[in-house]
Amino acid sequence: MTPDELMDVAQGLQEKDASIPNHVRVCTAASCLSLKSDELAKQIKAELKEVGKDKDTKVRCVGCMGLCSAGPLVSVEAEDQKPVMYQKVTVENAPQIAESVASGKKVKDLVCDTDSPFFARQQKIVLENSGIIDADDINDYIANDGYQALMTAISEMQPNEVLDEITKSGLRGRGGAGFPTGLKWNMLAKTPSDTKYIICNADEGDPGAFMDRAILESDPHRILEGMALAAYATGATEGFIYVRAEYPLAIKRLKTAIRLATKNNFLGSNIGGTKFSFSIDIRLGAGAFVCGEETALIASIEGKRGQPRPRPPFPAEKGLWGQPTSINNVETLANVAPIVRKGGEWFASIGTNKSKGTKVFALAGKINNTGLIEVPMGLSLREIVFDIGGGIPDGQEFKAVQTGGPSGGCLPEEHLDMGVDYDSLRTAGSIMGSGGMIVMDKTSNMVDVARFFMEFCMSESCGKCIPCRVGTYQMHELLNRIAEGEGTMEDLAKLEELCEVVANTSLCGLGQTSPNPVRSTLRYFRHEYLELIDGKHIPAGAGQEVAS
Amino acid sequence: MAWITKNSGTMAIETREEPYLDDELKAEIEANIIPRYPDRRAATLPTLHAVQHKVGWLPTQALKEIADFLGSAPSEVMDTATFYEEYWLKPKGKYVIWLCQSISCELMGRDTIMSKIKAKLNIEPGETTEDGKFTLMNVECLGSCGTAPCGLVNEKLHENMTVDNIDQILDSLE
Repeated sequence: MTPDELMDVAQGLQEKDASIPNHVRVCTAASCLSLKSDELAKQIKAELKEVGKDKDTKVRCVGCMGLCSAGPLVSVEAEDQKPVMYQKVTVENAPQIAESVASGKKVKDLVCDTDSPFFARQQKIVLENSGIIDADDINDYIANDGYQALMTAISEMQPNEVLDEITKSGLRGRGGAGFPTGLKWNMLAKTPSDTKYIICNADEGDPGAFMDRAILESDPHRILEGMALAAYATGATEGFIYVRAEYPLAIKRLKTAIRLATKNNFLGSNIGGTKFSFSIDIRLGAGAFVCGEETALIASIEGKRGQPRPRPPFPAEKGLWGQPTSINNVETLANVAPIVRKGGEWFASIGTNKSKGTKVFALAGKINNTGLIEVPMGLSLREIVFDIGGGIPDGQEFKAVQTGGPSGGCLPEEHLDMGVDYDSLRTAGSIMGSGGMIVMDKTSNMVDVARFFMEFCMSESCGKCIPCRVGTYQMHELLNRIAEGEGTMEDLAKLEELCEVVANTSLCGLGQTSPNPVRSTLRYFRHEYLELIDGKHIPAGAGQEVAS
Repeated sequence: MAWITKNSGTMAIETREEPYLDDELKAEIEANIIPRYPDRRAATLPTLHAVQHKVGWLPTQALKEIADFLGSAPSEVMDTATFYEEYWLKPKGKYVIWLCQSISCELMGRDTIMSKIKAKLNIEPGETTEDGKFTLMNVECLGSCGTAPCGLVNEKLHENMTVDNIDQILDSLE
């Protein structure tokens, strides 16, 4: 299939879609699905039949619409009407939804305001199809420019031209560290070998992060297309998606997507009649956080304990089964097709000086609008938490936002006006990580938060290197003592010393960053530690709001 | 904890005549899994998953059978199996309740739900009820932080859990 032929197919599908006057979209991502939105979709179809609208209405089960706290979400596009979104829709509401399609009148009680900042302030690239298309229907993806970038690249562009676009775009790894994707792929492209691998890292495990799950469930073909473009640009032949076994729905949708893409020759041998061949297979994890670290992930795919090894050699030189390998995060790969389609310069025009494009954040904790958002890099924390997130519930006051999971830190109010990008977060003592944002109000105790993350690091330590294996255990003990009110100033000094040692001497990134939650809470909320150690050390003006 | 070693050197291994990895399962793995891997050792994780899926857990005898089947040393298979949290080296209940212990769930009150389950089933995390019906487990982030607290019952996700609806969820399981 040539790019033109694909364009014709897409147009045909769009026209067919446009000939149907009414469209109903029901969110069936994990969150809404757990509230039985699949039954809701069935019931809406049945009710549409009752009111005689089943023939001219298309009901789709679509991916994540973002506002998980208001689920299940349903969007209705009735003939000649503006699209309306409905929230907290139950099976009992199905007749009202069907009636609204027939009459063109809104169901006022259920309307979800899409002009609110939660929706209006977002800019969608990664999630552009999320909540729009049916993940299990490849035609829906094709009708929305799907596989257009891949077909154009393999038939009209040289691999190095694809690489150039990615480099120009300034795209950085969305898994946490922010390594430039163009550079990573260049390394792989330059390493000569007959066999090279592209691995999609879908071992999302940061507490508080769920964007990768939503992308995989809502728009799986986007990941396959991104991987195929990566393979074409770097000369790779085979791809693996390493996904957590704890994400059953994502695995199911990926399997369907791979089957359909292979059937339509977007994957497999001689893709689109060209010389380019690339296949993708799924590998399941088995519940080990450390397998998100790239060398541990490789060991796991090889059937071994998921323990990291020192780098160099980097996976781009010696990776899976000793062959050159590139490992990219789900969200990184989700950006690739739009970049190739619209050009690197377009992408580079969004975001900040050193962090380009958008970032998907998962809002959770003590915040009104929990869910997934996608915003340009550089938006301030205040805009994210208060405008888009709708502020803190129950009349409580904001205290801190935790970013970057167990490798990140807690940022206090004084950083709320900081623009969020890779570099500003690092300067403030946290990291971007995969994009989890957990908001805490004044009822949260920061020593407890630090202890929580240390417990996580301790139990997920793979045990290979001593600083991490023993260091996290000892830091957890010290934090326990302090949190229980039995700590001394000596304990605090030991804790700070251990933070240094573990950060400087651990083998992999997970160990090196494990002291971050302690360090950042010590930096901004030291008085809470002191209060627990000895009441006399409370600095003036602080302490009243310290939770017990 | 991935790095705590099991006392496998001196433990007595319970055995039975009938193999866990029987001819039928071997044929299935040989046809569907092995061809997708460049060497047999790479198929360790999916083979462990396949046997666990059939047997419900991974007895030591099964690990030895898997080692023979894949041409690995039994210690290599055990090395891999003991590393990952998802492999069951002791029997589990018909329903495994995985309660998320991540920070969002923690902030949103998972402790009260854990206490409720513990009291109702009279077991601690990691234990199975005497009738073999329920196993209770803590699990790391399930990625449903927007609708915390959450948990899995086998493969079904439950969100916005409360002390009341956990009662209903458990009572509805037969």
